[in-house]
Amino acid sequence: MATPRVSAVEHEANLSDPLSGRAPLLLGDRSLHGITKAVCRPVECVPSRAWTLFFVVSVAMMGLYVLTTAYLFYEGIGIWGVNNPVNWGWAISNFVFWVGISHAGTLISAVLYLFRQKWRTSINRFAEAMTIFAVVCALSYPTIHVGRVWLLHWVFPIPNQMGTWPNFRSPLLWDVFAVTIYGLVSFIFWYLGMIPDLATLRDRAKTRARKITYGIFALGWRGSTRHWKHYERAYLLLAALATPLVLSVHSIVSFDFAISQLPGWHTTIFPPYFVAGAVFSGFAMVLTLMVIARWAFKFEHIVTIRHLENMAKVILLTGMIIAYAYGMELFIAWYGQNPYESFSCANRAFGPYAWAYWIMIVCNVIAPQIFWFKRARQNVVVLFVVSILINIGMWFERFVITVTSLHRDFLPSSWGDYSPTFFDVAALVGSFGLFFTLFALFIRYLPMVAMSEVKAGLPEAKPHHGAEGGSREASATGEGA
Amino acid sequence: MSQALVDLRAEQLHLPKTSRWCKLAPVFGGLGIAGLLTALLLAGQTTLQHFLFSYLTAYLYWLSLALGGLFFVLLHFLIRANWSVSVRRMAENVTATLPLLALLALPLLLGARHIFPWAQGVVSDPVVQGKAAYLNLPFFYLRGGLYFAIWLGLAHFFYRWSLKQDRSEDAELKEHLTGQMTRFAPLGMVLYGLSQTFASFDWVMSLDPRWFSTMVGVTFFSGSVVAIMAFLAFMAAALHLSGQLRDVITLEHHHDLGKLLIGFVLFWAYIAFSQYLVYWYANIPEETSWYRHRLVGSWQVLSIVLAVGHFGVPLFFLMSRHIKRRPMALLVGAAWMLALHYIDIYWQVMPTIHRHGVHFTLLDLATFVGIGGLFLAVFFWLLRRFPLVPVGDPRLAESVAHENF
Repeated sequence: MATPRVSAVEHEANLSDPLSGRAPLLLGDRSLHGITKAVCRPVECVPSRAWTLFFVVSVAMMGLYVLTTAYLFYEGIGIWGVNNPVNWGWAISNFVFWVGISHAGTLISAVLYLFRQKWRTSINRFAEAMTIFAVVCALSYPTIHVGRVWLLHWVFPIPNQMGTWPNFRSPLLWDVFAVTIYGLVSFIFWYLGMIPDLATLRDRAKTRARKITYGIFALGWRGSTRHWKHYERAYLLLAALATPLVLSVHSIVSFDFAISQLPGWHTTIFPPYFVAGAVFSGFAMVLTLMVIARWAFKFEHIVTIRHLENMAKVILLTGMIIAYAYGMELFIAWYGQNPYESFSCANRAFGPYAWAYWIMIVCNVIAPQIFWFKRARQNVVVLFVVSILINIGMWFERFVITVTSLHRDFLPSSWGDYSPTFFDVAALVGSFGLFFTLFALFIRYLPMVAMSEVKAGLPEAKPHHGAEGGSREASATGEGA
Repeated sequence: MSQALVDLRAEQLHLPKTSRWCKLAPVFGGLGIAGLLTALLLAGQTTLQHFLFSYLTAYLYWLSLALGGLFFVLLHFLIRANWSVSVRRMAENVTATLPLLALLALPLLLGARHIFPWAQGVVSDPVVQGKAAYLNLPFFYLRGGLYFAIWLGLAHFFYRWSLKQDRSEDAELKEHLTGQMTRFAPLGMVLYGLSQTFASFDWVMSLDPRWFSTMVGVTFFSGSVVAIMAFLAFMAAALHLSGQLRDVITLEHHHDLGKLLIGFVLFWAYIAFSQYLVYWYANIPEETSWYRHRLVGSWQVLSIVLAVGHFGVPLFFLMSRHIKRRPMALLVGAAWMLALHYIDIYWQVMPTIHRHGVHFTLLDLATFVGIGGLFLAVFFWLLRRFPLVPVGDPRLAESVAHENF
């Protein structure tokens, strides 16, 4: 099936910024059935060869993760490059990287919902799925990093006969709570939002097995007014509950570093700066995946250039915030006149890991500046390339923070260097395998776009639609940003 | 879309000459002058340093409100909001006080030697000496000039263009002006962010020249946004209660202002707590000294009052939808936040000289009333002079029709 025909006029309207009303969000076939068809098609058709190839490669990469982890359990974390003084290496960088990625989903689904950003409806399901898979990847690192993985349950405050408790003053314990709660709430939010769409899939199912499976997960949804009323209320409450989580999770992750006395880690701007960085990297990842998905599955008329442009704007905004934070760190390192702090800053920029620092600066600060230009924001190739650069840059940011601060101790006799081993690399590559495997399954079995929400943004969904003598509907084909 | 505009009655858009609102400008002007004169009289009985600190506290309070207004206007155009059109004029009137505040900064600039330890002749502390490249008076004056150049420039252009829209009958020109403001907003926001940050470094952080925190700019920002949201909510509710603008600034706008108010109250608490936690945990003396001064004697009581009053109370009071949609209740909540914002500023500035406990004097009240009186006189004078809402904004009708769901 080809992409529905979209005229140049429609494209122009989609990208315009009318002063009254809002630009139409959807292009092409905007009928309720058309949306359903476009979204359900990837789930209902026979998987393409491309999907199968993608899935197989992802599973193979995930297999690498399983094998390297098995060897890690057998041999111990000595197989990684971590040692004194760099006790935290790639595993922590990966953990923070993946937690960061996860933030865009919650921001889109909860914060943008509270801010009445209707354009979110085309991308929120996709981003939320990404959130959950990224949290899974993130949680895998602390799990395998603990050394004695069979005692992992000790991270929870479980009453026991020895009266031993985890250290409640440790941000590592706060991490356990924060990330677990975040994963749970994100999952519930994602699932709740999907119930009406699962019911749609159930109703469209052609085989008995599909009907029963989707039927079970649709929880008996029949779309009655009572159902919708409860659904909307639960959605709003979960959005309000998830919003503080957007801030809290990465703030607590930043405390892992900031509450120490280590130069380069201990600085007060870390919590908000980490949150902005997380949203920055998360949006970059959504953009990377969305650019491919909308093309591969032919819903470019539902996720339009306008959606991509809006994401580019959020990336520019959060990119400016982290540039501000980098600047503040540099300024205060000088202003504070603490010799250790200024050494740490200079060492980052000009020391043995200067290459990583400059990759970070180029990718995170310089690359997104291109989004000041409208033409760059509307160019799919530029968007894709810059989003990849940001993904790389944000991984390097965590690497720079972790390694450069550790490898130069207060005592020069304790200085050391860090280099990753094969198993470090395998764990990072493998986590992408885990992520993509889950993603491949998601796009194969679940609706990628929140159909019911997209439809609720259409003009005919408005309570007063048609009652105003048609004065407004001319301009409104779904309200948006 | 012009349909709704026709329904806006003239007496709703302008304050009637007989209205009590119109008498407020001279009243506040008189209060302001009286306050400043009282402050000068009281200054004779105390040290110059005490007078200047008291003045600085009051000044920062009103400056943070004006800067919050600038942020609101810039944000409105940056994100192309439509609901906030009808409350934007009040924020613009707030930014119009910036020239007055530039003038009122003169005593601080002239008295900088008596306020900032780093400016007091020979500095013996090697740490502070190391900062001399930044903390020196010529550069301090230069920066101050630059901040005001940015703020006055932004406030001037955005206000002028908005008024031009009011007067214009030409739909094309109106659209052009909105487009212009939308185009300048991103750059304006960057300039605003940087100038606001360094201003708070200069005027708050450097009061204790040894102390530093990367968060100071964000802290000041969070306080100033709480202030402007509270001020706008207060004014919207007060106008509503007096029967003004009921069809233009509706309960929906009250609701949204209330939501943003509680949102930024939470943001303020988040920022304040993050800084405190990071310093408390690491416990490095050069950083904790700042909190140390704020946790001795009666300062500790004020710290607790601030935590409870600026976070705990509004968290529960403003949470409810019903409160935000009841003008009287919103008015009380907003007034409370405006009062607590003063405590916040006082708590940041005053422990520098009152090391052993809170020492609130009549002088502090006089400077607050003095600067505030003049500030509000300008605000209410503009409120009377120009339409209460940006009548020329092409999105006004949408803003008026805005509904929460």
